[in-house]
Amino acid sequence: MSERYSRQILFSGIGEKGQHTLGEKHVLLIGAGALGSANAELLVRAGVGKLTIVDRDYVEESNLQRQQLYTEKDVEQKLPKAAAAKKHLEEINSDTEVKVHVIDATAQSLQPLVPDVDLIMDATDNFETRLILNDLSHKYNIPWIFGACVGSFGMSYTIIPGKTPCLNCLLRTIPLQGMTCETSGIIGPAVQMTVAYQSAEALKILTENRGALRETFVSFDLWSGQFQSIKTGRSKKEDCLTCGTAASYPFLQPENSTKTAVLCGRETVQVRPPNPVDLELERLGRDFSAMGYEVKANPYLVSAQKDAERIVVFKDGRALVHGTKDIVHAKSVYQRLMG
Amino acid sequence: MIKVLFFAHLKDVIGSESVTLEMGGENIISLKKRISDQYRIDSLHTVMVAVNEEFADDSTILSDGDIVAFIPPVSGG
Repeated sequence: MSERYSRQILFSGIGEKGQHTLGEKHVLLIGAGALGSANAELLVRAGVGKLTIVDRDYVEESNLQRQQLYTEKDVEQKLPKAAAAKKHLEEINSDTEVKVHVIDATAQSLQPLVPDVDLIMDATDNFETRLILNDLSHKYNIPWIFGACVGSFGMSYTIIPGKTPCLNCLLRTIPLQGMTCETSGIIGPAVQMTVAYQSAEALKILTENRGALRETFVSFDLWSGQFQSIKTGRSKKEDCLTCGTAASYPFLQPENSTKTAVLCGRETVQVRPPNPVDLELERLGRDFSAMGYEVKANPYLVSAQKDAERIVVFKDGRALVHGTKDIVHAKSVYQRLMG
Repeated sequence: MIKVLFFAHLKDVIGSESVTLEMGGENIISLKKRISDQYRIDSLHTVMVAVNEEFADDSTILSDGDIVAFIPPVSGG
Protein backbone atom coordinates (compact mmCIF):
# COMPACT_ATOMS: atom_id res chain seq x y z
CA MET A 1 0.00 0.00 0.00
CA SER A 2 1.21 3.53 -0.76
CA GLU A 3 2.35 6.06 1.83
CA ARG A 4 -1.05 7.68 1.70
CA TYR A 5 -2.51 5.90 4.74
CA SER A 6 0.79 5.19 6.54
CA ARG A 7 -0.02 7.24 9.65
CA GLN A 8 -3.43 5.66 10.01
CA ILE A 9 -1.97 2.18 9.53
CA LEU A 10 0.56 2.90 12.30
CA PHE A 11 -2.37 3.56 14.63
CA SER A 12 -2.76 0.28 16.57
CA GLY A 13 -6.57 0.24 16.37
CA ILE A 14 -6.49 0.13 12.56
CA GLY A 15 -3.28 -1.37 11.10
CA GLU A 16 -2.88 -2.87 7.58
CA LYS A 17 -5.87 -5.13 8.09
CA GLY A 18 -8.18 -2.36 9.28
CA GLN A 19 -7.12 -0.10 6.40
CA HIS A 20 -7.85 -2.84 3.90
CA THR A 21 -11.25 -3.50 5.50
CA LEU A 22 -12.10 0.23 5.45
CA GLY A 23 -11.31 0.33 1.72
CA GLU A 24 -14.04 -2.26 1.10
CA LYS A 25 -16.81 -0.49 3.02
CA HIS A 26 -19.69 1.57 1.72
CA VAL A 27 -21.16 4.45 3.76
CA LEU A 28 -24.49 6.19 3.13
CA LEU A 29 -24.33 9.81 4.29
CA ILE A 30 -27.64 11.62 4.64
CA GLY A 31 -27.17 15.37 4.43
CA ALA A 32 -24.28 17.41 3.01
CA GLY A 33 -24.47 20.50 5.21
CA ALA A 34 -22.11 21.18 8.10
CA LEU A 35 -22.03 17.68 9.63
CA GLY A 36 -22.24 16.12 6.18
CA SER A 37 -19.33 17.91 4.57
CA ALA A 38 -17.02 17.38 7.54
CA ASN A 39 -17.95 13.69 7.94
CA ALA A 40 -17.56 13.16 4.18
CA GLU A 41 -14.10 14.72 4.08
CA LEU A 42 -12.94 12.70 7.09
CA LEU A 43 -14.14 9.37 5.70
CA VAL A 44 -12.82 10.04 2.20
CA ARG A 45 -9.39 11.11 3.51
CA ALA A 46 -9.35 8.00 5.72
CA GLY A 47 -9.87 5.86 2.60
CA VAL A 48 -13.40 4.48 2.80
CA GLY A 49 -14.20 2.43 -0.32
CA LYS A 50 -17.46 4.02 -1.38
CA LEU A 51 -19.50 6.97 -0.17
CA THR A 52 -23.07 7.70 -1.24
CA ILE A 53 -24.35 11.19 -0.36
CA VAL A 54 -27.96 12.36 -0.34
CA ASP A 55 -28.82 16.07 -0.08
CA ARG A 56 -31.69 18.26 -1.28
CA ASP A 57 -30.11 21.71 -0.99
CA TYR A 58 -27.68 23.95 -2.88
CA VAL A 59 -24.69 25.96 -1.63
CA GLU A 60 -25.38 29.46 -0.26
CA GLU A 61 -23.06 32.13 1.12
CA SER A 62 -24.19 31.63 4.73
CA ASN A 63 -22.99 27.99 4.54
CA LEU A 64 -19.32 28.86 4.05
CA GLN A 65 -18.63 29.75 7.71
CA ARG A 66 -18.92 26.08 8.77
CA GLN A 67 -19.57 23.80 5.78
CA GLN A 68 -15.96 23.02 5.11
CA LEU A 69 -16.12 21.41 1.67
CA TYR A 70 -17.62 24.40 -0.15
CA THR A 71 -16.12 27.44 -1.82
CA GLU A 72 -17.20 30.88 -3.03
CA LYS A 73 -17.22 29.47 -6.55
CA ASP A 74 -19.82 26.86 -5.53
CA VAL A 75 -22.01 29.67 -4.16
CA GLU A 76 -21.60 31.65 -7.36
CA GLN A 77 -22.64 28.62 -9.44
CA LYS A 78 -25.47 27.69 -7.04
CA LEU A 79 -24.25 24.10 -7.15
CA PRO A 80 -26.28 21.49 -5.28
CA LYS A 81 -24.34 20.56 -2.14
CA ALA A 82 -24.13 16.90 -3.17
CA ALA A 83 -22.67 17.80 -6.59
CA ALA A 84 -20.16 20.29 -5.12
CA ALA A 85 -19.18 17.74 -2.46
CA LYS A 86 -18.54 15.06 -5.09
CA LYS A 87 -16.30 17.41 -7.07
CA HIS A 88 -14.17 18.36 -4.05
CA LEU A 89 -14.06 14.86 -2.54
CA GLU A 90 -12.82 13.36 -5.81
CA GLU A 91 -10.00 15.91 -5.87
CA ILE A 92 -9.10 14.96 -2.28
CA ASN A 93 -9.00 11.19 -2.78
CA SER A 94 -9.59 9.46 -6.09
CA ASP A 95 -9.48 6.04 -4.33
CA THR A 96 -12.98 6.56 -2.96
CA GLU A 97 -15.96 6.09 -5.23
CA VAL A 98 -18.36 8.97 -4.51
CA LYS A 99 -21.97 8.70 -5.62
CA VAL A 100 -24.46 11.53 -5.03
CA HIS A 101 -28.21 12.01 -5.19
CA VAL A 102 -29.73 15.51 -5.33
CA ILE A 103 -33.03 14.44 -3.81
CA ASP A 104 -35.13 14.83 -0.70
CA ALA A 105 -34.39 12.10 1.84
CA THR A 106 -37.71 10.29 2.33
CA ALA A 107 -38.63 6.74 3.35
CA GLN A 108 -39.40 6.08 -0.32
CA SER A 109 -36.26 7.64 -1.81
CA LEU A 110 -33.84 6.14 0.75
CA GLN A 111 -35.16 2.59 0.87
CA PRO A 112 -33.40 1.41 -2.36
CA LEU A 113 -30.07 2.94 -1.22
CA VAL A 114 -29.85 1.25 2.19
CA PRO A 115 -29.48 -2.53 1.63
CA ASP A 116 -26.04 -2.14 -0.03
CA VAL A 117 -24.32 -0.14 2.69
CA ASP A 118 -22.31 -0.99 5.80
CA LEU A 119 -23.12 2.16 7.79
CA ILE A 120 -25.56 5.08 7.71
CA MET A 121 -24.24 8.47 8.85
CA ASP A 122 -26.72 11.07 10.05
CA ALA A 123 -26.02 14.62 8.91
CA THR A 124 -29.63 15.72 8.60
CA ASP A 125 -31.18 18.78 10.22
CA ASN A 126 -34.54 17.39 11.36
CA PHE A 127 -36.03 14.57 13.43
CA GLU A 128 -38.52 13.50 10.76
CA THR A 129 -35.64 12.24 8.59
CA ARG A 130 -33.69 10.84 11.56
CA LEU A 131 -36.65 8.65 12.56
CA ILE A 132 -36.79 7.36 8.97
CA LEU A 133 -33.05 6.51 9.19
CA ASN A 134 -33.70 4.83 12.55
CA ASP A 135 -36.42 2.62 11.00
CA LEU A 136 -34.35 1.80 7.90
CA SER A 137 -31.36 0.92 10.08
CA HIS A 138 -33.42 -1.63 12.02
CA LYS A 139 -35.30 -3.00 9.03
CA TYR A 140 -32.04 -3.74 7.17
CA ASN A 141 -29.85 -4.40 10.24
CA ILE A 142 -27.33 -1.64 9.45
CA PRO A 143 -25.80 0.56 12.18
CA TRP A 144 -26.30 4.32 12.10
CA ILE A 145 -24.62 7.22 13.90
CA PHE A 146 -26.78 10.08 15.13
CA GLY A 147 -25.28 13.57 15.33
CA ALA A 148 -26.82 17.00 15.92
CA CYS A 149 -25.56 20.42 16.93
CA VAL A 150 -26.64 24.01 17.52
CA GLY A 151 -24.88 27.03 19.02
CA SER A 152 -21.84 25.68 20.89
CA PHE A 153 -23.71 22.47 21.79
CA GLY A 154 -23.68 19.04 20.19
CA MET A 155 -24.68 15.43 20.75
CA SER A 156 -23.97 12.03 19.21
CA TYR A 157 -24.99 8.42 19.69
CA THR A 158 -24.20 5.19 17.86
CA ILE A 159 -27.14 2.88 17.23
CA ILE A 160 -26.54 -0.82 16.60
CA PRO A 161 -29.71 -2.77 15.71
CA GLY A 162 -30.30 -5.68 18.08
CA LYS A 163 -27.89 -4.28 20.62
CA THR A 164 -28.42 -0.67 21.70
CA PRO A 165 -31.65 1.19 22.38
CA CYS A 166 -32.75 3.09 19.26
CA LEU A 167 -33.48 6.81 18.77
CA ASN A 168 -37.20 6.15 19.16
CA CYS A 169 -36.52 4.57 22.61
CA LEU A 170 -34.51 7.59 23.74
CA LEU A 171 -36.91 10.30 22.54
CA ARG A 172 -39.88 9.84 24.80
CA THR A 173 -41.81 12.50 22.92
CA ILE A 174 -40.89 13.15 19.34
CA PRO A 175 -39.80 16.76 18.97
CA LEU A 176 -41.91 18.11 16.12
CA GLN A 177 -40.48 20.05 13.25
CA GLY A 178 -40.60 23.69 14.21
CA MET A 179 -40.28 23.11 17.93
CA THR A 180 -36.62 22.39 17.47
CA CYS A 181 -36.03 24.91 14.70
CA GLU A 182 -32.79 26.63 15.49
CA THR A 183 -32.60 30.36 15.54
CA SER A 184 -29.61 30.67 17.85
CA GLY A 185 -26.91 30.15 15.22
CA ILE A 186 -23.96 27.81 15.32
CA ILE A 187 -20.17 27.97 15.57
CA GLY A 188 -17.80 25.77 13.57
CA PRO A 189 -16.22 24.04 16.60
CA ALA A 190 -19.62 22.58 17.63
CA VAL A 191 -19.83 21.01 14.16
CA GLN A 192 -16.26 19.70 14.30
CA MET A 193 -16.68 18.16 17.77
CA THR A 194 -19.91 16.42 16.78
CA VAL A 195 -18.20 15.13 13.63
CA ALA A 196 -15.17 13.97 15.66
CA TYR A 197 -17.45 11.81 17.82
CA GLN A 198 -19.41 10.53 14.82
CA SER A 199 -16.43 9.74 12.61
CA ALA A 200 -14.36 8.06 15.35
CA GLU A 201 -17.27 5.67 15.87
CA ALA A 202 -17.60 5.26 12.09
CA LEU A 203 -13.93 4.24 11.82
CA LYS A 204 -14.45 1.62 14.55
CA ILE A 205 -17.45 0.11 12.72
CA LEU A 206 -15.81 0.29 9.28
CA THR A 207 -12.58 -1.36 10.47
CA GLU A 208 -14.60 -3.98 12.37
CA ASN A 209 -13.57 -2.88 15.84
CA ARG A 210 -17.06 -3.03 17.30
CA GLY A 211 -15.72 -3.91 20.75
CA ALA A 212 -14.24 -0.39 20.90
CA LEU A 213 -17.58 1.39 20.36
CA ARG A 214 -18.37 4.05 22.96
CA GLU A 215 -21.86 2.83 23.97
CA THR A 216 -22.81 6.13 25.62
CA PHE A 217 -24.79 9.12 24.40
CA VAL A 218 -22.45 12.14 24.44
CA SER A 219 -23.64 15.68 24.93
CA PHE A 220 -21.33 18.67 25.22
CA ASP A 221 -21.15 22.45 25.18
CA LEU A 222 -17.84 23.88 23.98
CA TRP A 223 -18.62 27.37 25.28
CA SER A 224 -19.53 26.43 28.86
CA GLY A 225 -17.35 23.32 29.05
CA GLN A 226 -20.27 21.08 30.07
CA PHE A 227 -19.96 17.40 29.15
CA GLN A 228 -22.04 14.28 29.76
CA SER A 229 -21.39 10.72 28.61
CA ILE A 230 -24.69 9.01 29.33
CA LYS A 231 -25.34 5.29 29.72
CA THR A 232 -28.38 4.13 27.75
CA GLY A 233 -28.73 0.48 28.84
CA ARG A 234 -31.99 0.92 30.74
CA SER A 235 -33.66 2.92 27.95
CA LYS A 236 -34.35 0.03 25.55
CA LYS A 237 -38.10 -0.53 25.27
CA GLU A 238 -39.45 -3.97 24.41
CA ASP A 239 -42.60 -2.42 22.92
CA CYS A 240 -40.67 0.07 20.73
CA LEU A 241 -42.21 0.09 17.23
CA THR A 242 -38.76 0.45 15.65
CA CYS A 243 -36.52 -1.94 17.63
CA GLY A 244 -38.94 -3.86 19.88
CA THR A 245 -40.28 -7.40 19.58
CA ALA A 246 -43.18 -6.35 17.31
CA ALA A 247 -41.43 -3.74 15.16
CA SER A 248 -43.63 -2.17 12.49
CA TYR A 249 -41.28 0.65 11.32
CA PRO A 250 -43.92 3.41 11.62
CA PHE A 251 -41.76 6.08 9.99
CA LEU A 252 -41.54 4.13 6.73
CA GLN A 253 -45.31 4.25 6.21
CA PRO A 254 -46.22 6.57 3.31
CA GLU A 255 -48.89 8.42 5.31
CA ASN A 256 -46.20 9.68 7.65
CA SER A 257 -44.31 11.63 5.01
CA THR A 258 -45.05 15.29 4.52
CA LYS A 259 -45.15 16.85 1.09
CA THR A 260 -44.38 20.39 2.14
CA ALA A 261 -41.98 21.45 4.86
CA VAL A 262 -40.66 24.66 6.37
CA LEU A 263 -36.86 24.41 6.43
CA CYS A 264 -35.36 25.00 9.86
CA GLY A 265 -34.27 28.56 10.59
CA ARG A 266 -34.17 29.42 6.91
CA GLU A 267 -37.29 31.45 5.97
CA THR A 268 -37.70 28.84 3.26
CA VAL A 269 -40.45 26.38 2.39
CA GLN A 270 -39.83 23.24 0.35
CA VAL A 271 -42.70 22.28 -1.95
CA ARG A 272 -42.75 18.83 -3.52
CA PRO A 273 -44.81 17.71 -6.52
CA PRO A 274 -47.29 14.91 -5.70
CA ASN A 275 -45.22 12.52 -7.84
CA PRO A 276 -41.55 12.84 -8.84
CA VAL A 277 -41.04 14.38 -12.28
CA ASP A 278 -38.05 14.89 -14.58
CA LEU A 279 -38.10 18.53 -15.61
CA GLU A 280 -36.55 20.03 -18.70
CA LEU A 281 -34.68 22.75 -16.87
CA GLU A 282 -33.67 24.72 -19.98
CA ARG A 283 -37.26 25.16 -21.06
CA LEU A 284 -38.32 26.04 -17.51
CA GLY A 285 -35.60 28.70 -17.39
CA ARG A 286 -36.83 30.22 -20.65
CA ASP A 287 -40.43 30.24 -19.32
CA PHE A 288 -39.32 32.02 -16.15
CA SER A 289 -37.35 34.59 -18.18
CA ALA A 290 -40.41 35.27 -20.30
CA MET A 291 -42.37 35.93 -17.11
CA GLY A 292 -39.87 38.66 -16.16
CA TYR A 293 -37.77 36.67 -13.70
CA GLU A 294 -34.02 36.96 -13.44
CA VAL A 295 -32.87 33.39 -14.10
CA LYS A 296 -29.73 31.47 -13.20
CA ALA A 297 -29.37 27.80 -14.09
CA ASN A 298 -27.00 24.83 -13.93
CA PRO A 299 -27.54 21.17 -14.85
CA TYR A 300 -29.25 20.52 -11.49
CA LEU A 301 -31.55 23.49 -10.85
CA VAL A 302 -33.07 26.75 -12.01
CA SER A 303 -33.07 29.77 -9.73
CA ALA A 304 -35.54 32.58 -10.48
CA GLN A 305 -35.88 35.95 -8.79
CA LYS A 306 -38.27 38.86 -9.23
CA ASP A 307 -38.50 41.57 -6.57
CA ALA A 308 -38.67 39.86 -3.17
CA GLU A 309 -39.74 36.55 -4.66
CA ARG A 310 -37.02 33.93 -5.01
CA ILE A 311 -37.59 30.31 -5.96
CA VAL A 312 -35.21 27.47 -6.81
CA VAL A 313 -36.58 24.51 -8.77
CA PHE A 314 -34.72 21.18 -8.93
CA LYS A 315 -34.82 18.60 -11.73
CA ASP A 316 -37.14 16.32 -9.71
CA GLY A 317 -39.77 19.07 -9.50
CA ARG A 318 -38.99 20.05 -5.92
CA ALA A 319 -38.81 23.77 -5.22
CA LEU A 320 -37.40 25.89 -2.43
CA VAL A 321 -39.48 29.04 -2.01
CA HIS A 322 -37.32 31.58 -0.17
CA GLY A 323 -38.29 34.54 2.00
CA THR A 324 -41.34 32.90 3.60
CA LYS A 325 -42.38 30.47 6.34
CA ASP A 326 -45.97 30.44 5.09
CA ILE A 327 -46.76 27.09 3.50
CA VAL A 328 -49.96 28.34 1.80
CA HIS A 329 -48.12 31.28 0.24
CA ALA A 330 -45.25 29.03 -0.88
CA LYS A 331 -47.67 26.58 -2.52
CA SER A 332 -49.39 29.39 -4.39
CA VAL A 333 -46.05 30.71 -5.69
CA TYR A 334 -45.19 27.17 -6.79
CA GLN A 335 -48.49 26.64 -8.57
CA ARG A 336 -48.37 30.00 -10.29
CA LEU A 337 -44.90 29.32 -11.67
CA MET A 338 -45.08 25.60 -12.31
CA GLY A 339 -48.65 25.42 -13.56
CA MET B 1 -29.43 18.49 47.72
CA ILE B 2 -29.51 17.67 44.04
CA LYS B 3 -27.73 19.48 41.24
CA VAL B 4 -29.53 20.09 37.93
CA LEU B 5 -27.49 20.84 34.79
CA PHE B 6 -29.09 22.58 31.80
CA PHE B 7 -27.86 22.05 28.25
CA ALA B 8 -28.33 23.95 24.96
CA HIS B 9 -31.05 26.64 24.94
CA LEU B 10 -32.34 25.62 28.40
CA LYS B 11 -29.23 27.20 29.89
CA ASP B 12 -30.25 30.53 28.36
CA VAL B 13 -33.90 30.21 29.42
CA ILE B 14 -32.94 29.40 33.03
CA GLY B 15 -30.17 32.00 33.01
CA SER B 16 -27.64 29.58 34.48
CA GLU B 17 -26.00 26.32 33.47
CA SER B 18 -26.93 24.66 36.77
CA VAL B 19 -29.04 25.03 39.91
CA THR B 20 -28.93 23.25 43.25
CA LEU B 21 -32.21 22.22 44.84
CA GLU B 22 -33.24 20.89 48.22
CA MET B 23 -34.98 17.69 47.15
CA GLY B 24 -35.07 13.98 47.82
CA GLY B 25 -37.52 11.08 47.54
CA GLU B 26 -39.38 12.76 44.70
CA ASN B 27 -39.40 11.69 41.06
CA ILE B 28 -38.37 13.33 37.77
CA ILE B 29 -41.95 14.47 37.06
CA SER B 30 -41.97 16.51 40.29
CA LEU B 31 -38.58 17.99 39.44
CA LYS B 32 -39.75 18.96 35.93
CA LYS B 33 -42.87 20.53 37.38
CA ARG B 34 -40.85 22.51 39.90
CA ILE B 35 -38.47 23.81 37.23
CA SER B 36 -41.32 24.58 34.79
CA ASP B 37 -43.24 26.53 37.44
CA GLN B 38 -40.25 28.43 38.73
CA TYR B 39 -38.85 29.43 35.33
CA ARG B 40 -42.09 29.41 33.34
CA ILE B 41 -40.95 26.86 30.78
CA ASP B 42 -43.51 24.66 29.07
CA SER B 43 -41.24 22.65 26.78
CA LEU B 44 -39.75 20.22 29.31
CA HIS B 45 -41.75 17.23 28.07
CA THR B 46 -39.39 16.67 25.11
CA VAL B 47 -36.25 17.06 27.22
CA MET B 48 -34.11 13.96 27.81
CA VAL B 49 -33.13 13.47 31.43
CA ALA B 50 -30.01 11.77 32.77
CA VAL B 51 -29.43 11.03 36.44
CA ASN B 52 -25.77 10.50 37.32
CA GLU B 53 -24.95 10.06 33.61
CA GLU B 54 -27.58 7.40 32.93
CA PHE B 55 -30.85 8.10 31.06
CA ALA B 56 -33.79 8.07 33.45
CA ASP B 57 -37.57 8.01 32.93
CA ASP B 58 -40.16 10.23 34.58
CA SER B 59 -40.78 7.81 37.45
CA THR B 60 -37.14 7.66 38.57
CA ILE B 61 -36.86 8.65 42.24
CA LEU B 62 -34.18 11.20 43.08
CA SER B 63 -31.90 10.93 46.08
CA ASP B 64 -29.66 13.34 47.89
CA GLY B 65 -26.43 14.02 45.97
CA ASP B 66 -27.84 13.12 42.52
CA ILE B 67 -26.68 15.09 39.50
CA VAL B 68 -29.48 15.49 36.97
CA ALA B 69 -28.91 16.71 33.39
CA PHE B 70 -31.70 18.19 31.26
CA ILE B 71 -30.76 17.71 27.62
CA PRO B 72 -33.10 19.03 24.93
CA PRO B 73 -32.79 17.11 21.67
CA VAL B 74 -31.50 19.55 19.05
CA SER B 75 -31.96 19.00 15.36
CA GLY B 76 -29.30 21.08 13.60
CA GLY B 77 -26.76 19.55 11.33
